[in-house]
Amino acid sequence: MSHLEISNLRVRFPTDDGVVRVTNGVDLDIEEGENLGLIGESGSGKTVLGMAIVRLLPGDAKIEGTIRFNGRDLLSLNEAEMRSIRGREIVMILQNPTNSLNPVLTIGSQIEEAVRLHSELDKERAKKKVVELLEEVGIRSAARRAKEYPHQFSGGMKERAMIAMALASDPSLIIADEPTKGLDVTIKRRVVKLIKEVTKTKSMLFITHDLGSAAEICDRIAVMYAGEILEIAGTEDLLNDPLHPYTKGFLDSLPSRGLKPIPGMGPSLIDLPSGCKFHPRCDRAMKLCKREDPPMIQKENGRRVRCFQYA
Amino acid sequence: MLEVHRINKRFSSGGIFKKNYITAVDDVSFSINRGETLGLVGESGCGKTTVGKLVLRLIEPTSGKIIFDGVDVTKLRKKELRKLRPRMQMIFQDPDSSLDPRMKIGDSIAEPFRLRGGLSRRVVGERVSDLVETVGLSPEHVNRYPYQMSGGQNQRVVLARALAANPDFVVADEPTSGLDVSVQAQLLNLMNGVKSDLALTIMFITHDLEVVRYMSDRVAVMYGGKILEVGDTEYLFDHAEHPYTRELLAQQSAEDYYVPEDDVNNGDGGCVFCSRCPFAEEVCKNKEPVMVNIGRDHQVLCHRV
Repeated sequence: MSHLEISNLRVRFPTDDGVVRVTNGVDLDIEEGENLGLIGESGSGKTVLGMAIVRLLPGDAKIEGTIRFNGRDLLSLNEAEMRSIRGREIVMILQNPTNSLNPVLTIGSQIEEAVRLHSELDKERAKKKVVELLEEVGIRSAARRAKEYPHQFSGGMKERAMIAMALASDPSLIIADEPTKGLDVTIKRRVVKLIKEVTKTKSMLFITHDLGSAAEICDRIAVMYAGEILEIAGTEDLLNDPLHPYTKGFLDSLPSRGLKPIPGMGPSLIDLPSGCKFHPRCDRAMKLCKREDPPMIQKENGRRVRCFQYA
Repeated sequence: MLEVHRINKRFSSGGIFKKNYITAVDDVSFSINRGETLGLVGESGCGKTTVGKLVLRLIEPTSGKIIFDGVDVTKLRKKELRKLRPRMQMIFQDPDSSLDPRMKIGDSIAEPFRLRGGLSRRVVGERVSDLVETVGLSPEHVNRYPYQMSGGQNQRVVLARALAANPDFVVADEPTSGLDVSVQAQLLNLMNGVKSDLALTIMFITHDLEVVRYMSDRVAVMYGGKILEVGDTEYLFDHAEHPYTRELLAQQSAEDYYVPEDDVNNGDGGCVFCSRCPFAEEVCKNKEPVMVNIGRDHQVLCHRV
């Protein structure tokens, strides 16, 4: 049994302009202790996927499929049951720590809240635990810094505080949504190193569009496009030998690999193309690609790719 | 084209009785040749955006001279400056906040023409369609609003509007930092194309070394309000002398990198980088280094060279 097993997940949002199909039959699994990277560009549905796991999507979202966590289908739980899992066994580290932290409360008191919500520690012990957590994420003079407010923390330190908060309940699965977005190279490197360190014994879904960070942290990487997983492979395999034309295009458009753009734009999620969602931008598209949905094809090493080329 | 001579910018903070000063730009000098792209790299807070704004005099320098095409921009009066403005344009980081949300794309691009005046509606319309084509948008986008466009498309609109003023010099401040990689690749290629077609001079501000390598002829590396190293892009990537430049390059490429733990600038005396520098010696803490010329168009601010 996988730690987390998502099958045929579909999330749709009805709007005045039509139905927005954000994820279109996503199958993913995370093994115990595994770090799975989920890369994709804005609008590919990766954040929605993360939010669906912790059931934090807005009420008008139509969700189908199953999300099994330790064998239990999260989508069938009621809110009280979900609350006993969310924030305890599964925690989410959101992007943009500046918006996730309360500006009028001290960093320490915000982490303390997370600590006390999930344990029976008294105030004194909880305070000690907060300092320990801050030390664990590499904040020096932690006891003093705990009394400071978010605006007194730099971007990188705020991200560290968010990680400390996520660790407060000692979760077994962490969903990190673009935790390195907007950070400088140096600071990003440090945060990545820290995340790698603190998730050694945990499972993680690492959502990002930064392939470099994903490569450093993740055991496997899944590539998402227009609400579908197009390819999933071990990190080395994916980087050295990408199979899907989109993965190839994505890698080639990195500045370090030549900055060759993929022509065209990502599709509108209201008006998705027929057949393979990538075919209008694909230089190897055949007639078949326009007509039919390509199936997920199993390859060696547990790799999977959604492309007719490999059928 | 542009010569910046020892500019400083101090921002004051604090109350009536006690004022604190933050030196954002500290004695910075550099020049950009006509038709050249100078890349300005550094981490957030190093002062690179402030330099960009100073160069266009969007903020006033505390001291120093900025000579644009033979004219000292710092001495110009408002009216004279306004005349010069169309020739110098800036592209900001966040396209969504650079565009008026209530203005259609076409009107946003047409605005510089209207401000200049003297053009008929038809001519303005034609110019706008030309620009829309130049930046790779389609004609139907003209009637849309910014919220109906993606971030990459909006950044193209911002570029079109900057070009509408028919500038000689463009400061681009992290124009692709919020964009996806494949969109970033499209936009950077577009900017390079436009640059050579229109013979633009560009100052390209970024924290991404790979991007700067692709975009610039020369690179200036900034840290703590100072330029630490300047040189020809390709040469600098292979022959960086300053420990900070080397650190940045190592982080970009190597798997196993040196992660400095201390990034506190020391404010008084000494090198701005010394508290983080693995090679810092006594002299670095006490004496400020001076810019040394160590080869054709390669300058370094470091005691060790």
